[in-house]
Amino acid sequence: MLSAKYIWLIPLLPLIAAAIGTFLPRGGSSRKIASASAILSMAAGFVLSCLALRGALANPAAHDTWNFRWLDFGATTLELGFINDPLTAFMLVMVTFVGSLIFIFSTGYMKEDANAAKFFCYLSFFAAAMLGLVVSNSLLLLFVCWELVGLASYLLIGFWFTKPAAAAAAKKAFITTRIGDLGLLIGICWLYNAGGTLLFYDGGNGFLETSVLGALTVVLPCGLAVSTAIGLLIFCGAVGKSGQFPLHVWLPDAMEGPTPVSALIHAATMVAAGVFLIARVYPLMALDQANILRDGFDAVLSGAPLEIYSSTGIKALTVVAIIGAITALFGAVVAVAQNDIKRILAFSTVSQLGYMMLAIGVGAWPVAIFHLLTHAFFKALLFLGAGSVIHAAHHEQDIRYLGGLAPRMKITFATFAIGMMALAGVPFLFSGFWSKEGILHAAHGWTVSQLPFYVALVAVVLTAFYMTRLVCEVFLGKARSHASEHAHENSPAMTLPLVLLAVCAIGLGFLGTPAWPWLQSMLEGIPADKIHGHSIFSEPGLMITSIVLVALGIGVGCALYYFLRKRNTTGELDPLEKAAPALWTALANRLYFDELYAATFGRLFDAIAWLSDAFDRHVWGGLINLIGGLGLFAGGVNREFDENTLNGGFDTVSEDLRKTGKAYSRAQTGDAHGYLRTMALGFAGLIAIVILIVAI
Amino acid sequence: MNATINYAELVYALRPEIALTLGLLLALGYDMAFGRRMSDCARRGVAVLIGIVTLASAVFQTLHTNVPPVGHAAYWFHGAFVYDTLAHGVRLGVFGLSALTLLLIAGSIPHSALRTPHFKHPAEYVAIQLLATMGFSLMAVSNNLLIAFLGFELASLSLYVMAGFDKTSRASAEASLKYFLFGGMAAAFMLFGFSLIYGMTGTIVLPEIARALAVQGPSPLLLVALVMVLVGFGYKAAAAPFHQWAPDVYQGAPAPAAALIASASKLAGFAFFARLLFSGLGTVSGDAINFGGPAGWIMAVIIISAASMLLGNIAALAQTNARRLIAYSAIAHAGIMLLGVIAVRAEGAGPLFYYALTYGIATIGVFGVFAAIERTAPCQRISDLAGLWKRSPFLALVLFVCVLSLAGIPPLAGFFGKFYLFAAALYLNGLMSPAGWLAFLAIAMSAVGLYYYLVILKAALVTNATAGTSASTEKIRVPLGTVIALATSAALTIALGIWPDVVLGLFK
Repeated sequence: MLSAKYIWLIPLLPLIAAAIGTFLPRGGSSRKIASASAILSMAAGFVLSCLALRGALANPAAHDTWNFRWLDFGATTLELGFINDPLTAFMLVMVTFVGSLIFIFSTGYMKEDANAAKFFCYLSFFAAAMLGLVVSNSLLLLFVCWELVGLASYLLIGFWFTKPAAAAAAKKAFITTRIGDLGLLIGICWLYNAGGTLLFYDGGNGFLETSVLGALTVVLPCGLAVSTAIGLLIFCGAVGKSGQFPLHVWLPDAMEGPTPVSALIHAATMVAAGVFLIARVYPLMALDQANILRDGFDAVLSGAPLEIYSSTGIKALTVVAIIGAITALFGAVVAVAQNDIKRILAFSTVSQLGYMMLAIGVGAWPVAIFHLLTHAFFKALLFLGAGSVIHAAHHEQDIRYLGGLAPRMKITFATFAIGMMALAGVPFLFSGFWSKEGILHAAHGWTVSQLPFYVALVAVVLTAFYMTRLVCEVFLGKARSHASEHAHENSPAMTLPLVLLAVCAIGLGFLGTPAWPWLQSMLEGIPADKIHGHSIFSEPGLMITSIVLVALGIGVGCALYYFLRKRNTTGELDPLEKAAPALWTALANRLYFDELYAATFGRLFDAIAWLSDAFDRHVWGGLINLIGGLGLFAGGVNREFDENTLNGGFDTVSEDLRKTGKAYSRAQTGDAHGYLRTMALGFAGLIAIVILIVAI
Repeated sequence: MNATINYAELVYALRPEIALTLGLLLALGYDMAFGRRMSDCARRGVAVLIGIVTLASAVFQTLHTNVPPVGHAAYWFHGAFVYDTLAHGVRLGVFGLSALTLLLIAGSIPHSALRTPHFKHPAEYVAIQLLATMGFSLMAVSNNLLIAFLGFELASLSLYVMAGFDKTSRASAEASLKYFLFGGMAAAFMLFGFSLIYGMTGTIVLPEIARALAVQGPSPLLLVALVMVLVGFGYKAAAAPFHQWAPDVYQGAPAPAAALIASASKLAGFAFFARLLFSGLGTVSGDAINFGGPAGWIMAVIIISAASMLLGNIAALAQTNARRLIAYSAIAHAGIMLLGVIAVRAEGAGPLFYYALTYGIATIGVFGVFAAIERTAPCQRISDLAGLWKRSPFLALVLFVCVLSLAGIPPLAGFFGKFYLFAAALYLNGLMSPAGWLAFLAIAMSAVGLYYYLVILKAALVTNATAGTSASTEKIRVPLGTVIALATSAALTIALGIWPDVVLGLFK
């Protein structure tokens, strides 16, 4: 049992591993030490997370928190804190487990890389930031970790920074998510101003608890409630981080990083953060939907899907649902026309994250977290499988150049197929089916509109279709390049995580089936038999429909890519491309969103930059040059005076100056750096000692 | 707060500073108008004379200021300035020390063909030194973080220029640059600390800060702010681990500049920080009397003090360069003075002021002797001092007195400085307090210090200059200004040792 008071140990462990990695010299046995400390820290974190989960499940409805004073500003105190409740604990277990497997996989994948020690250092840092985000009980602490996640993703996506594409992708990820983060930061400031606290739970005084929520029901002049406005701002951050439309553009480009990084970003760490955040602040998001007068705050706090009591004004969750539905469809459509194995998976992530947001938007946040957890496992499986393929095929990622890998890489094929079926939602045995079913069901029960439900159904067909296409192209048919002809199965360090993840991709679904919705009941803190909206068996039509749709998607995929015609050469056109070349080009170019942004926002910022530059150069620069000119003029007058009235003085001065310059250039600047470094170290040391004395 | 601004009060408060400003303008103006037609020697003489007269008039203005009785203070200009015994004493002290270093200028001009002559622009040097002195004086009277920072920076910027004034010397340029880099970073730390304190208390006036902090009590942020302020303090005092600039600057800067940095600058720095720490941050000082009390700046000061004493004394043992040796001894002395800052709580600022003043006087004497030797022969290595008693008995005598005072031998002022300071520290709670143990360490380290001071004296008084060593045997002719300065330093070192109450009485 691990209470909230000590839960910070879990993020601390990988942080220490990252610190060890930082201070190791290059080369030698550093790689082994770095990878060993990273894996050990995650494994230990997993054990601690299981203890935390045990503690949280003992009383699922209670939010075990531990808060402490951080800063005093005059009369106000800023508090930070840690939390352990089922939501946090499930995330912890997932992140540490999937993270450990990805770390183990990386030891094989990054074997040839010269900077592997640094890579493990960044990975640990990434995991530490994500774990910190999950355990924080304060929106501020969460934001700090949130930004650290962003930094770590920047470092990892751009790990091969000598490749221009990787450097650009890292920059893109960083800047795009930053746009959303700005909204989140404004939301945090507003929330602090309106509610007076940034703690989630604080024995009745946190902003997710009754007393503060009451203060947020004020309606602004524009018709929005304060809680709606803040909720939407917070959602901006989640849109950026979780790759939701319209800030999804960074996510596919992030494929430029090493494949384990893609797995980490897409499964366990980065993109899950946005969904987690919205689930965490769900009571705030749902506040404007509750009929406080009729239901009281309990209705909000229990997280039940709420009836909408009034149709006036925009509701925060409605926006979340709409964005989620658009993203789900968009990702699925674009994934159909991609040729890069990792990009297909990337767009499928975009689509699946849309599903999760949709689920939160329609009020079923436990289902969203269920899908988040199952998705984490099967998406990590798929990415690591893709990594295994790429590693075996000498970094060939284009599915047109692969093919025929099934007999050569049996374990990878088997596990990848399991992942594909989980993602496609093949019924009953696979976890993805149950979580997706939950989302479809919740969307069907949404009282505002049925449109998201139908959108989600279309995305189901497309998901099954493009995953079938991927598996057929990569594993079946004929090997179409030298690389895929000579591919062979990878070392156990890489296949073992695949097998373990495959087991989870199957088994995890049974934690949340409608027959026994244990996971949802634990997340919501109410007994399983009281779970609302899980009468899937009472509405068999819905389930049958979705099974038929999945079968349709897989069937069409198999027909087009396996039975009717197999790809034999790399140059052969895709059947869909042949049928509708214009549409295919548009999809392959991701519906031109990058180009659109470049043409609008990019242009706009270019123009602003140009304007600022011109202003700087001509207006301010002119002014400064004028002043400088005056100075020069005065200097000239002075010099004339010097030369004409006092001969010789000037020559000596200039001689002096020249010598001084030489002296400066010879001065031991290296030493001065050392001095300043010592000074900073002295400062840090003093702080540490003084603070330690306080702690003792 | 009263909204009207009483300029008469401002002028009254800043009369010495006004005198200094007028004097520096006069020095520059005279030099510009007439200086270039004069011989180098006369030009220098006039500039120094104007400087001395200016400082004398500043002293005169200070003496005609009403000093409140001990334990009381007058506040001027809405509490921006404070005037009490400490401010009074420090003003007089920095003016006097500044005048002594000005007199060293003449003595630090090489008259042989050793190097191209430096100090080509004596009026500028004097003007900048007067600016630095103004900064010290402002630090002495400021009662507000902004004025204090202004004074601190005015003094620092002037000292950077003075350290690099010898444009023909590579070491001087290097010293100046390092001093500047280090000082800039320290000032940045300190300003950050100030801004945090302002953020927490909403005021920049020291007593009001104390009141606000008494309500809030210590917090982690406050501790960070305190340590940031102490970085600035450590830099000004040349205390470890913020001391690295000192050896380079003491070695490279022109001797008068180094003397000023070691004397008046330290006196003003210690006075100012003692005021800041006690009247501004006194309510969060932590506990110097007992072990295990609440955290505050005292613990950090104790650490810096102990580190300085250990590092200064031990590193000084290894030096072969006389100026660097003095620099490391300065670090050790800074450690003792930091102990004095803690002991202010027991006995007031008297012992600290006395120590800093007498230390400054003795250091000026040592640098003056080095400067005078350098006129004919290099004076860097300790072995360069060999045979000094034959080359110039006067210089050897001054060095003897001043070095023994630095080492703390009775009946010289340095001994009584240490004595009063350790006594005050032990008054706190004997050996039951951290300060008591620190005093114990200081006494032990003073014994270590005696060794390297005696190494200098042995070189100067016992060793003969032989053909094998680099030391010259040429007789040294000491210019008049230097004679006056050195004689005054030596005489004061003896006299203040015999009659310490002349200074300490101010505080009683």
